[in-house]
Amino acid sequence: MRLAVFLSEYREPAMLERLKAEKLGIILVQNGVYHAAVKKDGKVSPVLSKDVEYYALSEDLQSRGFSDSDVVDGKVKVINYDGLVDLLFNDYEKTIWL
Amino acid sequence: MGKLTIGCFSSLVGSMSLDFAVKLSEAAVKKGHEVDLWLSGNGTMLGKKGQSKFRDYSYLMGTVKELIESGKFKITNCEACAKARGIGREDTEEGFGIASMDWYLASAFGADRVLHIGGE
Amino acid sequence: MAIKKIAFIVEKLPYKSETSRLALTHAIASQTVEIHLEDGDNVEPVLIFVGEGVLNCLKDQKALDVYGVTSLEMHIKNALLLDLKVQVCKEDLDGFGLTEDSIVMDAEEIGGEVTTEVVPYDEIQKSLEAADHLMFF
Repeated sequence: MRLAVFLSEYREPAMLERLKAEKLGIILVQNGVYHAAVKKDGKVSPVLSKDVEYYALSEDLQSRGFSDSDVVDGKVKVINYDGLVDLLFNDYEKTIWL
Repeated sequence: MGKLTIGCFSSLVGSMSLDFAVKLSEAAVKKGHEVDLWLSGNGTMLGKKGQSKFRDYSYLMGTVKELIESGKFKITNCEACAKARGIGREDTEEGFGIASMDWYLASAFGADRVLHIGGE
Repeated sequence: MAIKKIAFIVEKLPYKSETSRLALTHAIASQTVEIHLEDGDNVEPVLIFVGEGVLNCLKDQKALDVYGVTSLEMHIKNALLLDLKVQVCKEDLDGFGLTEDSIVMDAEEIGGEVTTEVVPYDEIQKSLEAADHLMFF
């Protein structure tokens, strides 16, 4: 399955480790954008360590005082709501909101 | 163009998940998609009449009404969840549907994509 | 004629949040969804309890006596009575030191015929893959 996992919190949900999909994307929204925007004790969030596609919602970064270029890991693509709609309809068939 | 069903069970003002749901709906409708937004649990507060527009608090009714007028957006309150909170038909904003929980499942049946945001 | 499968995946604990109860009531609403659909179309739910969510399934919940609210136990029994598929993650049950004896396994006393399936997570992954849509609670 092609699964989009929405991470809305700045923590690592237990369920995230368990989910398997032939194509898995992690979409950081709301407080989940902090995974992309900050390092803790100099380290990037462990959430970013998987071999999957990563996206962060621009509007939620900006609300929190970050610009799109502040993402700490180049593998995270910054998208806006328009881009998110396209992702949902074109790239992923199922979603889970954590 | 496709159909997106969103289920949001989170509070108005308290969590901003409804803000997310409405903004996503807006972006999808602008692109020509159809959106059903199902409100259950604390999400039913969004349907309550008489909300004031203060900058310290999320105000979504303006955008929601524009979306309803687009003809491509349906917003529906869970009848039981709303009534449990004292929100009857007479307290519900015009343009909001009111239905039982099977409405959400029927909407999901006909959707290309479903995003269940859930509660706090 | 189409059947769409919806997986209701419950991870949240009961009572402090209404989330897991709403998972049950929405899944049970599948009993009447046909009235909104074309002839022959239907929704097939599967209720899945994972992580802390397995604690929704404990027996002997006194929520109705104490707080006047229907217990999750009663909702799960209703789901079983209505022949809904209910899966509980074995690894998570084991992690809490619980067994099938600790949880709602059937609704026999109210005429239910199906039983709860305690399954390894791999089986749950298969249910997620088989579903058309996922709802995570």
